[in-house]
Amino acid sequence: MCIGVLKAPTTFLETTVIEAGQNPEQVTRILFQDFPAWMLVSFYVVAFCAIAVFLYGCYAQVRKYARGRSLSKDGLWSGIKRMIEALLTHRTLRRRDAEAGRNHALIFFGFVLLFIGTSTITLEYDILEPLTGLKFWYGSFYLWFSLILDIAGTGFVIGLLYMMYRRKWLALPKLDYRRPDRDPSDPDYARDWYRLEDWLFLWALVLLGVTGFLLEAARLVWLQNDPTVWDYRWWSPVGAIVAYGYKAVGLTSAGAGDLRIGLWWFHGLLALTFIAVIPYTKAKHIVTAMASLALRDAKPAAHLPDADLTAKKVGADSITDFTWKQLLNFDACTKCGRCHEACPANATGFPLSPRDLILTLRELSNATLEGISMPPQDRLAAIGDGVNQVRPETLWSCRTCAACVEICPVGIEHVPVIVEMRRALVDASEMEPSLQKALQNIHNKGNSLGENKRKRTAWTKKLDFEIKDARKEAVDVLWFVGDFASFDPRYQRVSQAFARILRHAGVDFGILYEAEMNAGNDVRRVGEEGLFQHLAESNIETLQECDFKRIVTTDPHSYNTIRNEYPDFEGVYEIEHASAMIQRMLANGQIALKKKLGSRVTYHDPCHLGRLNKGFDPPRESIRMLGADLVEMERSRDNSFCCGAGGGRIWIPDPTDKEKPSENRVREAARIDGLEVLVVNCPKCMNMFEDARKSTGNEDNFRVMELIELVEECMALGDEAGPDAGGAPAGASPGDASPAAQGA
Amino acid sequence: MKILVPVKQIGVVDEDFELRGDGKDVDPDFLNFEANEWDDYSYEAALQIMEAADGVEVVPVTVGPDDAEDVLRRCLAKGGERGIRVWDDALEDASPAAIVQVLAKVVEKEQPDMVFTGTLSSDRSYAQTGVGLAAALGWPHAAVITGIEWKPGDPKATLLRELEGGLVEQLSVNCPVVLTIQLGINTPRYASLRGVKQAKEKPVEDLSLADLGLSGDDLAAAGGSFRVRRMYKPETGQAELIEGTPAEQAARLVEIINELKGAA
Repeated sequence: MCIGVLKAPTTFLETTVIEAGQNPEQVTRILFQDFPAWMLVSFYVVAFCAIAVFLYGCYAQVRKYARGRSLSKDGLWSGIKRMIEALLTHRTLRRRDAEAGRNHALIFFGFVLLFIGTSTITLEYDILEPLTGLKFWYGSFYLWFSLILDIAGTGFVIGLLYMMYRRKWLALPKLDYRRPDRDPSDPDYARDWYRLEDWLFLWALVLLGVTGFLLEAARLVWLQNDPTVWDYRWWSPVGAIVAYGYKAVGLTSAGAGDLRIGLWWFHGLLALTFIAVIPYTKAKHIVTAMASLALRDAKPAAHLPDADLTAKKVGADSITDFTWKQLLNFDACTKCGRCHEACPANATGFPLSPRDLILTLRELSNATLEGISMPPQDRLAAIGDGVNQVRPETLWSCRTCAACVEICPVGIEHVPVIVEMRRALVDASEMEPSLQKALQNIHNKGNSLGENKRKRTAWTKKLDFEIKDARKEAVDVLWFVGDFASFDPRYQRVSQAFARILRHAGVDFGILYEAEMNAGNDVRRVGEEGLFQHLAESNIETLQECDFKRIVTTDPHSYNTIRNEYPDFEGVYEIEHASAMIQRMLANGQIALKKKLGSRVTYHDPCHLGRLNKGFDPPRESIRMLGADLVEMERSRDNSFCCGAGGGRIWIPDPTDKEKPSENRVREAARIDGLEVLVVNCPKCMNMFEDARKSTGNEDNFRVMELIELVEECMALGDEAGPDAGGAPAGASPGDASPAAQGA
Repeated sequence: MKILVPVKQIGVVDEDFELRGDGKDVDPDFLNFEANEWDDYSYEAALQIMEAADGVEVVPVTVGPDDAEDVLRRCLAKGGERGIRVWDDALEDASPAAIVQVLAKVVEKEQPDMVFTGTLSSDRSYAQTGVGLAAALGWPHAAVITGIEWKPGDPKATLLRELEGGLVEQLSVNCPVVLTIQLGINTPRYASLRGVKQAKEKPVEDLSLADLGLSGDDLAAAGGSFRVRRMYKPETGQAELIEGTPAEQAARLVEIINELKGAA
């Protein structure tokens, strides 16, 4: 098919680029000209050996993946489309390292074009011509081909040289392989062989590119007396320049002929060796990265995989407990270090680097699953203290903030891997006593704080009106309050403010009172899948009994699991985060502002609202509508730095001898000149930052406030001596089942 | 080789509660039922012995109504293959002495080699069941144990007890023996909800008093060395945080002292 397409322009251009009197068929690149038979035969023998080694390697990789757990993947076609889009735009590679992305694009597109070029030669010379006599690789098609490949090769070499410069001189911390989860005395502390592999990979490719040009030039000098070659030298400009260089140092045609043979073999053997080792080395990312990108989940961290609780085993503590897709993910890692840099645990000295976790599992899988037969079960253990094993403290360091998943250019999904391993730890009861206590509290009392169910609504007693009981009467909006928003004394003030705002805005809302249980988001992320499913089912059972149109919550964690995970348990609801509702009510005037903020504020994206559910804009727009001067922190939006409370870490106290993620974040905020308020949008972030503000000595510098509190401040509700004294609630639409009717 | 572990469901009192009509106990409406914390440790101690040797069976037993079965399920989620629950309406408000009679019959039936109980149950804090059971069986006993060195077949167990002033007492005791286990002897494992669900498949033998050859009269005869006369909440004192300059604080302190003097 491509021949037909290519033939047409060839004929058309024949007249324009081929000199009169020359046979276009003569204008082509010589391949094996002047090769003795033995040389030709040895080349084919070596080539077939290389391909055989390559194919066996591919087979061994596929066999390795097949040893993982089965998994059926839907949406493969749209995944492939997304992968192609990612490849063509290099979007994932350019993020947060534009220079590396651009140069990778040079290498990638250079490689692809050179590969297509070489394949075209093989297609004609070894397949089409012997079989059908068809020839197309000559004349102007060849000349254009030659020019394009010269440009591609130039880009390829430039890209590779930049990568060498980057590794050697930029000293990027993310390319430092020293591991936070190992001590310098551990044998796998820095994995020095990775560095060797990196350099071999770069040198091999650079030499391939450079010898290609040298060879091209040698050919030109050798055949300088053949007008079908020399006349067209500028169609391979790099080759031509080098050829003039050769001539300048006195290389003769005969000398160039000898040089050509030597370079031909060097270049050819290097290329074939490269092909042969692709499945066994870093080079395999060419294939695995593409596959990994195509297999990406839509919501890898927001919606965790279900676990069959009736199965013999839950979670992953052995390498064969991972799915084939996860084993493939492990192979896709290129050690680019973007996750390593983004991880809040790593940034604050916890023994976790998402990169090293993935590489540890890769090493384990390569060491155990690549052989012809399977090793004994005990060698497959993935959790432990040994080489190629992940330590439990590494797994417990994770905040499931998904910064790693989000930035990974090749679509590796770290969070589900970590949670699967945590499931195995929980099943074996390997966890911090404080976490065990929290889980027991949730099991016994439905909340992590161990408070009595009846106290869940204690915060409502300070309101001078009563909130509807959604279990008893129909409401428009069901407010799922969540544990911290109900019990945390600081956040109770926010819950009260939100109740007053809703009431003033004339929203018909209710809560579940003591029937509400912990939504289970963090319970699932801790790895207690049984308890999560119990909580989801219990809450859904309660919700099914209620009459409401949609759910709102101030808690991004509850929001995430209800939105993304409850549908698996037949709990399909329209749910929105309070910030989105506030933004809407500010925009349509349902919330009437009496004053504007003039203060300088910054906004912290909660992971579960921002990265996991893309709720970046409504809170910002709300803050702007309040009239505040919003200054962004260095790390914001998708690069927001977790407060440290996610993934159940709110139940495991951070050690006091290290900087806490929350302290790191508060210090970042404090670097903003004249900052007055750090605005948060999550009960857990509030809890973390209120502490961190004190422990970092910023207590007198700025306040930590919820968006909701700022809204209430601008509504000036406090100035009215209670909403009832202030007459009809502002913004209450007539005919609305106004909550004011049930005022105290 | 068998270890019997009596466990108990306890009532935890709400922050706001009311007393029962007769004033002798808390109204059960205000109780949350949970497993007794000490029993987590005694059960864990038994499981660790089970896991360290072959052919050891651990059997949890409880005396309590239907919903006390949860406590057994939570034990079985951690280990063990079967449980025993004894109940009879006559056991409502049973004294420790009566419970001891019941457990002694269970021991007679099960013939365990060891019995591990918690040192006490946090709702009543009598700390009588374990030692009473040993007396009823005529077995030796040791209380408030913080360390056990024993494996199946050993004629004697070496035990540790923590005393005041940071002292540790090491003692050896002849087996079979009843041990009452103290908090902190080990780290009890977590019973995952998956484990609890799977434990629902494990058999729990429900026994009545008659099944054990006991009657309500036997329990009455066992009686007890005491009876509850009434339960009440004593009036709590008042605390006040004195603020202000040292002089103001001193003035307020004098005021309070004078007030209290006057009241006395």
